[in-house]
Amino acid sequence: MTAQTFNRMTPYMFLIPAAVTMGIALLYPLGYMIYGSFRDWDPSQNISETEFVGLKNYITLFFDPAFHESLSVTLIFAFTVVVAEMLIGVGLALLLDRNIRGISVLRTLFILPMMIAPVVVGLMWRYMYHPTVGTFNRTLKSLGFEGIDWLGQHALLSVIIADIWQWTPFILILSLAALQSLPASALEAARIDGATTWQQIWHIKLPLMMPVLVVTALLRLIDAFKVLEVILVMTEGGPGLSTEIVALRISRTATEFRELGTAAAMSNYLLLLLLFLTMAMFAISRIQEARAARLARQIEEESG
Amino acid sequence: MTFERQNPAFYALLAVLIFMSVGPVLLMFVNSFKLDVDIIGGTTGLLFLPTIQNYETALCDILWYELDHLDFCSLKFGGALINSLIIALISTGLTLVIGCMAAYALVRFRFFGRDTVSLTTLMVRMVPPAVLLVPVFGLWNNEFCIGKTTLVGAWIRDIFGGRGDVCLAGTHSGIIIIYVAMNLPFVIWILQSFIVQVPRSLEEAARVDGAGPFQVFFRIVLPLIKPGLAAAAIFTFRIAWNEYLLASALSDRNTKTVPILIVNNMSEFNVEWGVIMATGMLLAIPPIIFTLFASRQIITGMTAGAVKG
Amino acid sequence: MLKTTQRIALGAVSALALTVAASAGPYDDYEGETLIVNFPAHPHFDAVMRILPEFTAETGIEVEVDQLPYLKMRERQTLELAQDEGEYDLIAYVVFSKADYVYADQLENLARYFMNPKLADPAYDPDDLIDGYVYNIGFAGGNKGYLEGKTGSLFGIPYGSETSILGYRTDIFEKHGLSVPETYDELLDIACRIPELEPGMGGLSSRAASGHHASHAFLLHLAPLGGRIFDDQWNPIVNNAAGAEAANALKTIVDCGPEGSTSFGFGEALGSFLNGDTAMFLDTTVVAGQINDPSKSKVVGNVGWALHPMGVRRGSQTGGFGIGIPANAENKEAAFLLMQWLTSKKGDKLVALAGGNPSRFSTHADADVNAKFPHMATFGEALKHADPDWRPIIPVWGKINADLGTTLSKVLTEGLDVQEALDGVAERTRAVMEEAGYYTWQ
Repeated sequence: MTAQTFNRMTPYMFLIPAAVTMGIALLYPLGYMIYGSFRDWDPSQNISETEFVGLKNYITLFFDPAFHESLSVTLIFAFTVVVAEMLIGVGLALLLDRNIRGISVLRTLFILPMMIAPVVVGLMWRYMYHPTVGTFNRTLKSLGFEGIDWLGQHALLSVIIADIWQWTPFILILSLAALQSLPASALEAARIDGATTWQQIWHIKLPLMMPVLVVTALLRLIDAFKVLEVILVMTEGGPGLSTEIVALRISRTATEFRELGTAAAMSNYLLLLLLFLTMAMFAISRIQEARAARLARQIEEESG
Repeated sequence: MTFERQNPAFYALLAVLIFMSVGPVLLMFVNSFKLDVDIIGGTTGLLFLPTIQNYETALCDILWYELDHLDFCSLKFGGALINSLIIALISTGLTLVIGCMAAYALVRFRFFGRDTVSLTTLMVRMVPPAVLLVPVFGLWNNEFCIGKTTLVGAWIRDIFGGRGDVCLAGTHSGIIIIYVAMNLPFVIWILQSFIVQVPRSLEEAARVDGAGPFQVFFRIVLPLIKPGLAAAAIFTFRIAWNEYLLASALSDRNTKTVPILIVNNMSEFNVEWGVIMATGMLLAIPPIIFTLFASRQIITGMTAGAVKG
Repeated sequence: MLKTTQRIALGAVSALALTVAASAGPYDDYEGETLIVNFPAHPHFDAVMRILPEFTAETGIEVEVDQLPYLKMRERQTLELAQDEGEYDLIAYVVFSKADYVYADQLENLARYFMNPKLADPAYDPDDLIDGYVYNIGFAGGNKGYLEGKTGSLFGIPYGSETSILGYRTDIFEKHGLSVPETYDELLDIACRIPELEPGMGGLSSRAASGHHASHAFLLHLAPLGGRIFDDQWNPIVNNAAGAEAANALKTIVDCGPEGSTSFGFGEALGSFLNGDTAMFLDTTVVAGQINDPSKSKVVGNVGWALHPMGVRRGSQTGGFGIGIPANAENKEAAFLLMQWLTSKKGDKLVALAGGNPSRFSTHADADVNAKFPHMATFGEALKHADPDWRPIIPVWGKINADLGTTLSKVLTEGLDVQEALDGVAERTRAVMEEAGYYTWQ
């Protein structure tokens, strides 16, 4: 091998390990899953021993009320969580965007919940929600109120609250970063024009932040579909199917009902749904970016 | 730099926010030093006799002394902790090395545009671990195997013991490879944005001095992107350290990680809150340490993910 | 402290073993082997963990235990047993796994071992094993495929098996002059009167959490109230009058139960009884050890035991675990020796004294055991009414069980109508049975 060819090969050699790993552990499994979703597949079987059943798994799921319920639980969970977290997170960011002492310490404390394992978050909240020994009901009772059946009658709400606790800081931090990178000139110009705080927020800050906010919302939405451990530890999907998100149902179908084919078909449905949502959000984010850029230019021109 | 004075309500709000984000963690910390009787009995606040008994119970299999309050050691937490460390550290190391090389190649040799990479990253990030559960479970158990009668298979069985064909499932490497693959796109994405900022002239100069592409990469580029590496490392470690679902499908009794043990330990017959809190605390310590000492890198990583994307 | 007593006991036993060894014991060939066994995290098997060192001292066979929560244990076993060569030499299995494992040819038929004169202990006395448990847990291929019958044979031995029993707070019952309920009417009446008499206290703590727990609690009432899941032709009859009565009984119990009981699993239900939040507890016999343990229970000395109340018939549950040898095990003969030792008269008594559930008649009658656990006599009485057919142990049961459990949970938390819920279960069950081929001969 001459030095020349060696140099020409270099980029490929740098890329090969990554390509091989992702091929083996991501692409191939996804293909395998699509193949498996057309088969009647028991965990004790090798896939070559399984029977081809066509679209049966997909059709069964399409008419399965339990799957519908878990799909709607997932959608309710994901959208509620994202909307609530965006509102609270952006709101807090606007409030905290001030020049105060110790902001970095604050940020450190706020990212703590995100760094801790979901399993641990689940167990902390399961303890706090406990009907008799839990923190919430004890506090309520010591104040003379009735205890609330958190994980029984209000399971979905309780799970949503726990997720809001864990992930609002994510949005807060990103919004803060976005706020602090806004062009100072634009804000200065608005202040000179005599805009009130609200007007500044509505007409300048929010529109300029929009591209970041859309991406943030997109990332949160994607992650909301991945939440599993917190719910597993807190409620195991119950009571009834009231907190059984699709991810949990996939894992139950695979391990408890031992129907890998159906679980694979379910995974495909989930993947298609996510693909659709991601594409939609991606398109929105491109549009927003263009609009924000136009707005920024406009402000620059006006002030300049 | 001057700081603006704020009104008291603002500080009150800050205090509430801090209490809300740190409170549950503190609660767990305090409870992990209480006996079950104290937790259930409702001695609230700090009026209790702290004990490390819960931690002793959790770590009974790696303690050098015998415990009086236990007849036998059922919770093999120490072993799981070691497994978690092995898996998280090796997968972080591998992801960084492989990811760095790929990011470098993508930037310097202009393979795809940055858009393609961010779209791929987004696509991979979109795939929930639950979706990988079924295929990975099937492949790791049945397809990615070496027959035990083949040369390599027999050799592995001779050295490491065990029975049946040698499969990826149940080994540390089986779990590591899936974590590496899951984290790679994100790491490549972050590192790319750091590598772009390394001035090309530095590399050219080194090349003129006769350094090969590998030397240029390791001597010049790597030292300059250290902050990016730190951010990427923390994120990768966090996912590998915290992940439950895939690990539970792929591990066997010798390769269990801590999250699996905690979920298992929420068993129906005895909810031993004290011990559970202690195990939770032990699992939470590394992320807490990272947060306290490297929060700047974490925020860099997070914002690189969204703001610059 | 227990460790030291244990060590003294070990010393004594190994001294004994030395004298026995001179006459070429049955364990000699297997000395030094290591068995890998899979047990659940369960009070009975915690007791087993305490007596295992004694087995090793006596036989020289090492035992490595992989303890898992029982639902996880089943997942693990599903995978392990399907391999050509499995890791486990001996497994404990939940009753309803029997159908799956035997049907898939994954458990060893025990005939081969009990026929082998080198392995079978002549003093084993199989007749002393409790009939109901043996047929329920160890036997397969008899009537309906899972009951006693001429066509069946033995695949496992009951170990850690249990029946249902009513625990009640003697102090509370005395204080209000209540008599211990003997029928379901009395039970439901008292369960709902207690919250009025003792504000803040629940009547009966029952499991009710979505899935397996809710289904288990329902079945517990179904048999005594005269219901069944299937008739003799495998037609689902869970939605008949008896079924509705059982579901209503469960709903009443949960409504009058302690706070938060709709989300109780077994652990929470027991925990609330141990904490004194409820006056009665109707579930498995396995809890007795914990109720008498002052470090876990606040009601030590205040608990009395009575038979599972009667509806139209007596019918307490039969459940718990059996132990069997996987067909893909490596050390099957040594595993059999361990299994035989554990379930022998001596092993059964040891485990009972350590806080486990005995599976022999002689142990229930044993003077030492009764002296240590006075409730053992009532438990022995309860066994006579144990109903081996209180739930069907067929391969598709897991799926029906899950559906039943989630549907009942909806009745308890979302106010779904009982009859509508059970009709739905019956309809879906029929479809499952149809697909599994149970109506082929009709």
